[in-house]
Parts: sequence; structure tokens; C-alpha cells
Amino acid sequence: MFKLKVSDAKLLRDMVTAISILVDEATFKIEPEGLKLRAMDPSRVAMIDFEWPKTVFEEYVCEAPSKMCINISELLRLLKRAGKDEAVELSLDEKTGRLQIKITGKYSRNFNMPTLEASEEEVPTPKITFNVKAKATTQGLSQAIEDAQLVSDHVRIEADTEKLVLNATGDLMGATITLQKGSDALLDLEVKENSKATFSLSYLAEIIKAASATSDIATLEFSTDMPIKIDFQQTKEGKLTFFLAPRIESE
Amino acid sequence: MKVIADLHIHGRYSRATSQQMSLKEIARFAKVKGLNLVGTGDFTHPKWLREIKDTLVPEEGTGLYRVFDDAASQVHFVLSTEVCTVFNAGEEAKKVHHVILTPSLETAEQINDVLARYGDLGADGRPLLNMTAAQLVEEVMATSSGNMVFPAHAWTPWFSIFGAFSGFNSVEECYDDMTKHVHALETGLSSDPPMNWRLSKLDRFTLLSNSDSHSFWPWRLGREANVFELEEISYREVVDAIRCKDHSRLKFTIETDPAYGKYHWTGHRACNVSLSPQEAQKLGNVCPVCRRKLTKGVEQRVEELADRPADFKPENTPGFMRVLPLSEIIATVLGVDSPSTQAVWKIYNSLINRFGDEYTVLLDAPADMLLDVVEAAIAEAILQVRAGAVKVVPGYDGVYGKLVLGAGASAEKARRGRVQQLNLADFW
Repeated sequence: MFKLKVSDAKLLRDMVTAISILVDEATFKIEPEGLKLRAMDPSRVAMIDFEWPKTVFEEYVCEAPSKMCINISELLRLLKRAGKDEAVELSLDEKTGRLQIKITGKYSRNFNMPTLEASEEEVPTPKITFNVKAKATTQGLSQAIEDAQLVSDHVRIEADTEKLVLNATGDLMGATITLQKGSDALLDLEVKENSKATFSLSYLAEIIKAASATSDIATLEFSTDMPIKIDFQQTKEGKLTFFLAPRIESE
Repeated sequence: MKVIADLHIHGRYSRATSQQMSLKEIARFAKVKGLNLVGTGDFTHPKWLREIKDTLVPEEGTGLYRVFDDAASQVHFVLSTEVCTVFNAGEEAKKVHHVILTPSLETAEQINDVLARYGDLGADGRPLLNMTAAQLVEEVMATSSGNMVFPAHAWTPWFSIFGAFSGFNSVEECYDDMTKHVHALETGLSSDPPMNWRLSKLDRFTLLSNSDSHSFWPWRLGREANVFELEEISYREVVDAIRCKDHSRLKFTIETDPAYGKYHWTGHRACNVSLSPQEAQKLGNVCPVCRRKLTKGVEQRVEELADRPADFKPENTPGFMRVLPLSEIIATVLGVDSPSTQAVWKIYNSLINRFGDEYTVLLDAPADMLLDVVEAAIAEAILQVRAGAVKVVPGYDGVYGKLVLGAGASAEKARRGRVQQLNLADFW
């Protein structure tokens, strides 16, 4: 048996929105300790690594570990019907294999949707030694990414001991955005080795925009021409981390 | 006699075609190019057919035509057209382009009478017809057994028999029981014979190469062509050599480097993303910039259907020679963006004046004689292209490939913007 309940629908909706950025069909691991998801987008450029311990939920029941695959955009459509302070309860009807979604607030609504065949793929996280660790506000990060998007579809992120610099170069225009260590936007910066790597702005922008709804602080870790890891600190317990592969100049 | 034929071009009533496209101009530039047989294009269009009747006269007993006031013309015309059949196969909508050849104005008009029942022939030089590919062949062949139908640019992503977006996996799936009347397929700019040889199911078909040109300029007209050695130049001889896949008569095809074609690699034009088949597969055929489905290129599509290795060469089949348009070669050496600049024309014309036509310059002119006419860099580039010793940055999603010579400025320019998206599996 599997069942969970959150008292504020927004919590669940924001998290499902963040997941929907990368995957259409998500296979969740349902374990007695909590809910987990690790999945890549179809191009394998980005990965989400998500965990919610059972303490996040008002009620959480898992009698045995299992997997459940659901269509994320369909679930999101239903969750968008829930108001801010309404409660949401998800439960799996094991007889029919359908997910039951109960929204209670001003009135009560019961939806159900099919579950899909769960993926058996075990997705590993990239093996990387990070040389830069930067803690920034998600608001500052969002604005910096929006600035870069004005001129290009990709951005080079560089770090030295004093600052984090975002360089974007388009066909016509360029932009340099500097986040100084200790500023309001860049709270902390640890650099073992000066590093730089280039990333797709469409991925970065969508990830940061969606995850910002769940978090005020993000920790970026990267090395030269390696994937970036962005960990969004959750207001409650839990983990929301993204990995994004770099773009490199080549012949 | 040697016959160099470009059997598939368009008249001015086809979409995106030069308004200056007239049969006299086509004949003029065909001669400059070195073609002596050209398709009229678009005989299905009423206004273009009117121009054909007004401008061309039959050459008795050959099934071919020439410009009426040029009795000595070495450029002959064969009546040709391209049509697009739109039909459902299972639950999928299919749009496939086909080239039709016919031996006379009478048979052309008979074809038009039949096809007018399936679509508006006056709407476009390349009309849309609501009929299956098999119906098309059946109707055309019922009109005259001398007619010929073959699939156009067989691999382009849209509107082709093997296209990634609405194509089939075999000729038989497309033409059904009428496949027996299909003897050839046009490889298109983005594929060449070695790519097609990788499919054993294509062994019985003759591979043709035509320009599908929408203008008469020599960097378009005849950029691909077919070289025959015939007893005489006639419709029957040409069609018979194709039907019999007779490599003693159809000697070879003239091919651009397939990378030059607009759809060789997979990519997104708007996102400036160009990917090899391997790179595209690694990314799940999703654009790393906009994250929408990529336009799958011809090389990747061939890879999907191939059952032979890349270096396979069948026996007893016509060969091929690789060229690139002379104007493009000159423009690359000069470092100019367009082949239509005065500087390019000046050098181009000096070579044509010396050697007679472009194919002779590209295929036959000796090095020492080229050096008599043009600077060493141009002569060297022509010889490099002839030897296949050049690099072409592959075309993708409607962007032509780009010739790169040496490590000069042009090479740098072509490289710029090539940003490769890695995926996370590269770091496991």
C-alpha cells in the first residue's frame, strides 16, 4: 500500500513542476523512508535527483518498496486545480493500478489517472571532482540567467577565488555578468582551481526558474568542461539536485 | 555520344523559383555548365506547358525538344515534372515527391488530363495530388508505357520516399504493386551512391542524380547530373539505359559531396545546432538548445536502414564522380560569401572561355592549363575538389554544407559556432 498526504498543495505542485522540466514520464521509487526520483531528460543532457523523506509529509504510508511511473504533465494538470492551502492526498489503487488524487479544501475532488510501466533503468550520477562550489540566492541566479538569455542561447560560467562570472556571446551582442563573493547574490565561493564551463541557457533557465519556487538558496558545483551540479536547498527536508552536461567548442 | 543529363529542375511557376527562369535561359546556362540534356520541369503546370510549347520544338524521332530558334543547339530538353502525392498509409500521412519523364507533348497532356482529377495543377509547378504513390504510377504508366516515374530526392527529411518525417522504409511499401514500374531513384544532394549501396534492397534500382534546381545559375543547375554514353541522344535510349541499369550506357553520376546537401546531418537551423548521427543519437534526437525534436539528417536515416557497412561497393553498377559548383570553389578561395559576386564571375568566365564549359573545367582540365588561366590558389582548389581532398562542413536542417579549403579564414569561419553539446553519459 502506498499513500501520502501534504497539507499545502503548493509544495507538491512546485516539486512536480520542477520534475516536469526534464521528464514526461517519471518512475518514482517508493520506499518506507520516503520518495525518490532520479531521471534524465530524453537527450540525457540534464538529470534530476530528488528525494523527499517521509517526514516532509503529513501522512506517508509505504508497506513495501515499489516503483510507480506516472505521466508528470497529466499529474501537474490535476494538481493545478488545487488552491494554495488545500490538502492533497495521493494513493495507489493496487487493484486497478491507478493513482488516486484527492484534493480537499473548500470542497473535495477525487481524480484518478493510470500508472505506466516503470522504468528499470538505474541512473548513476556523474563521477566528477568539483573545483568550484558557489552558494547563491536563486533570485540572483535567475536574474543573471535572464540577462544572459538576452544575447545568447549558451553561457560560459567562470570562477576564481573572488567572483563568479557569466559570459554570454551571441551573433550580435555579448554580456558579462559578475557575481562578487560576499555580495547579496553570491553568498559563498570556494575555489580549488579556477574553472570555466559552457552550458545551454534554455536548460539552465528552466531548471532555475522551476526550482526557485521550492528554494531560496542554490549551491553550484562545477569544474572546467564538466557537468554542473545545482543543489536547491529545500525549506523542509529533502533534496532537489540537478546535473547539466556542458557544451564544448569543437571542430 | 556523351550525354550529360540533369533530368529534374523547375520552371518559374514552382514555389521559391527564380522568376527569370525561362527555357531559353535554362538552355543558355545548361551549355555553360556542359549539360546537353535537361528536363523541362513542371510540364504539369498549364502556364509553363504553354511556354514549353511556345519555346521548344520537337527533334524528330528522338522524343526530345530544343529551343525553336537555335537549330544548332547542343542542349536538348526532355519533358519532365515533379509532383507531390499526399496520402495515408495506415494512420500516417505521407507526402512523397516523384519525378515523371514522358516522351512527347501529347503524352504530357494525357498525363495532365489524368492528374487534374487528383489536384489543382495550376496551383504550383510541383502540384499536390491526393492519390497514393501506387495510383500515380498506375495512372502515368497507363497513359504510356514509355513514361517513367521515380522517387525524387529519396532521402530528404520531408516529402521523400525514405524521409525521416513521413517516409517509408522500402520502395515496395511506398509503391505497393506498382513497384514493378519503378526502376530508379534520385539520390538527392544529401546522399551519394555509396550511402545508397549500403541498402541491399536498393540493388535493383538505378541511382540517378539531378539538381532539382530552382534557378538557372550554374551553381544550382547541373550541380548533380547523369553521364550517359549512348549510340544516339534520344528519350528512348536514356530511359532504356536507366531501366536496364546498364552501366555500359549510364557510365556514372556527377555528385556533390553529400555533406554539401542541406539535409546531410541532423540539426536545427534556428538553434545553430548541427550533429553527426552518433551525436544526435546520444542526445536522443532532441535539440540541446530548444529541446524540441531535431530534423533528422540523411546520413542518420541511411544509418537506420542500412544493412551493409559504409565501404560496401556492389559490382556492375554505374560509378560516380564528386564535384562542387565551380562558382562555389572560386568564392571559397576568394573568401566571399556569395558565388554571384563580380569577382567570382570574372574568374568563372575566364575558365569557361578557355575550356568551353564548367564540367570540363571541373573534371578534365589539366593542371598546367588551369594555371595558364587562373591563379594557383584557384587551380589548386579545383584539383583538390576533383581529387576529393577537401573538407565540407556538413549541411543540416536546410543549411547548405560549406566547402573548407586549407586552414585559412574560410575554414575558421565555417568552424565558428560549432558548439557540441555533451550528455551526462559521457561522464559516467
